[in-house]
Amino acid sequence: MKKLSLMFLVLVLAAGLFMTGCAKEEAADDAPMIVSMATDVGGLGDKSFNDGAYAGLLMAQDKLGVEPRVVESKQQTDYVPNLSGLAEDGSSLVFAVGFLMADAVIEAAANNPDAAFAGIDIWAADDAPKNFQGISFNEHEAGYLAGVVAGMMTKEYASASDKLNDDNVLGVVLGMFIPPVEKFEVGFIAGARSVNPTVEVISVTSGSFVDQAKGKEAALAMIEQGADIIFHAAGLTGLGAINACKEEGVLAIGVDVDQNSVAPDTVLTSAEKKIVQATYLTVESVHNGTFAGGNAYYGINEDAVGIAPFHSFDSMVPQAVKDKVAAVTADMKAGKVKVPTTRAELDKM
Amino acid sequence: MEGLFSILNTELLVATIRLSTPITLAAIGATICEKSGIVNIAMEGIMIIGAFFATVVAYYTGNPWAGLLAGIISGGLFSLIHAFATVTLHLDHTVSGAVLNILSFGIVRYLMVLIFGHPGTTNPIPVGLKAYQWAIPGLSRIPVLGPIFFNQTPIVYLSFVAIIFFTFFLKRMKVGLHLRAAGEHPLALETIGVSVYKMRYLGVLISGLLSGMAGAYLSIENNVSFTEGMTNGKGFIALAAMISGGWHPIGAFLAALFFGFADALQIRFQIIKLINVPEELFIIFPYILCVVAVAGLVRRSRPPKADGKDFMIERVE
Repeated sequence: MKKLSLMFLVLVLAAGLFMTGCAKEEAADDAPMIVSMATDVGGLGDKSFNDGAYAGLLMAQDKLGVEPRVVESKQQTDYVPNLSGLAEDGSSLVFAVGFLMADAVIEAAANNPDAAFAGIDIWAADDAPKNFQGISFNEHEAGYLAGVVAGMMTKEYASASDKLNDDNVLGVVLGMFIPPVEKFEVGFIAGARSVNPTVEVISVTSGSFVDQAKGKEAALAMIEQGADIIFHAAGLTGLGAINACKEEGVLAIGVDVDQNSVAPDTVLTSAEKKIVQATYLTVESVHNGTFAGGNAYYGINEDAVGIAPFHSFDSMVPQAVKDKVAAVTADMKAGKVKVPTTRAELDKM
Repeated sequence: MEGLFSILNTELLVATIRLSTPITLAAIGATICEKSGIVNIAMEGIMIIGAFFATVVAYYTGNPWAGLLAGIISGGLFSLIHAFATVTLHLDHTVSGAVLNILSFGIVRYLMVLIFGHPGTTNPIPVGLKAYQWAIPGLSRIPVLGPIFFNQTPIVYLSFVAIIFFTFFLKRMKVGLHLRAAGEHPLALETIGVSVYKMRYLGVLISGLLSGMAGAYLSIENNVSFTEGMTNGKGFIALAAMISGGWHPIGAFLAALFFGFADALQIRFQIIKLINVPEELFIIFPYILCVVAVAGLVRRSRPPKADGKDFMIERVE
């Protein structure tokens, strides 16, 4: 099975190379720049990272006329061949999506010095190849804003919705405990405490990004302890957490993208990483020739993180909360708010 | 310590049932399969298939019962590949099982794109089986036991029925005894005129139907959408439950309960921060127990004598 599919891949790649070889002479300069991405094992349709990056490529296709390509990775051993394959296949810029592809994209970048590589949620160390750019988000800033909303709603404005209770408890469901997840968590806790110093925030690490059942159990256990708003930074595992909130009639806060559509009567808002925006800006930098190796940060200053609209909860959320979010956003942009990024920093506050 | 008491409640036990139900079903299936002499490590893959088709049918018909049926049947049909490979073609059981596991993920990925236009996760189904939670009048009022056993969702009740039925099946029913003979001494069974092939096909089929149901539980009862990889190793935990349960349906159920309990407990340990250690230690807690249980109990439990042994009818010309 695997051998067959590998052989198929090789054949397709060979055919692709052969065809590009043929086409080159006539295509000349007006051939569109090829920009591609390899998904992590979550694949397209995760309503999260991979979909966000893909939407960014489509936006670049629209605005800059580049040609987008996608390869999906089925398992972790696919990462290097997929990334290298895309570069060898004529891509000017190859995106690796997700922290778990870090080693693979750096290896692929070293092997293909002529193409540019960018890694969403991946950190570029000092010795990383110069054609690699790590794209990081200030997740803690998005988490902080979500925390401000949750912290105010769970106590001060608990009477605004019958989905909120009198207990001053919030919950956070985490996927694997990796840096972007940790930043979301501590940002959320810091934000909640900034408006509600006595709030209790309980968190559970599920250890998986695909296990809905476990996400649900974690959320149910928190609801049992009095949590009435549950934030998740757990990928697809978080869908189970949102489902638990829906069943038990409490509120959820989504992550990465606007997850309101998952459960419109449950998802209050989402802590967004505007991967679309960041992906597009990266494509643009290659298009303009300003792409550079190293690390690029996208945060509140670039409007690349934030919280999603309240949708059907818009009339329920008091104006005071919205004003506070706007004020905190402005303060963050002005550098007046220090948001922790690790649990160690949070403990010191 | 106050925190510790706040988690030791009925909810913990209800969560245990929720977490153990898919493992119970798959472990009983695996038990029946191995009793017939076929090693089956493909529960993980069969569960994924069942979970997927249950969701597809529930999504398009709007009827979760149709989804449940689709999950069970698709699991059964998919398992027949294993039966064909191991019984008819005499292939190695473990290899065939591994192939099924890999194949299932490929099939699902392909069909996800074909049907939903994208891999990853499906849209939520209109109504899940959770909506049919049914409290048995009277019995559900019993303290502690009531909420655990008598106020449950359909597939959980079905898993209770499966435990009782298959215990009876292996002990008292003629076909169950024949099936066991196929796993203990196939030649003897064949000489009394019962087809070992048929019994082994039946064993594999039962494991497929039950694992398919386990998959449906994950996608359309416990949750309302299908996510690729959502079984997350539960099919393999079921293998461990089968072994620690001593190849007996009730044993498999108790072992599955034990794993479910460990998982429910570790989530609550994280919440009350019982001890300050990295989360990873909590997460692997059920798996460590799993290894300990298998290592500790495996000496006392004995697999069927002809488990995993090929049986070929020799024709004398």
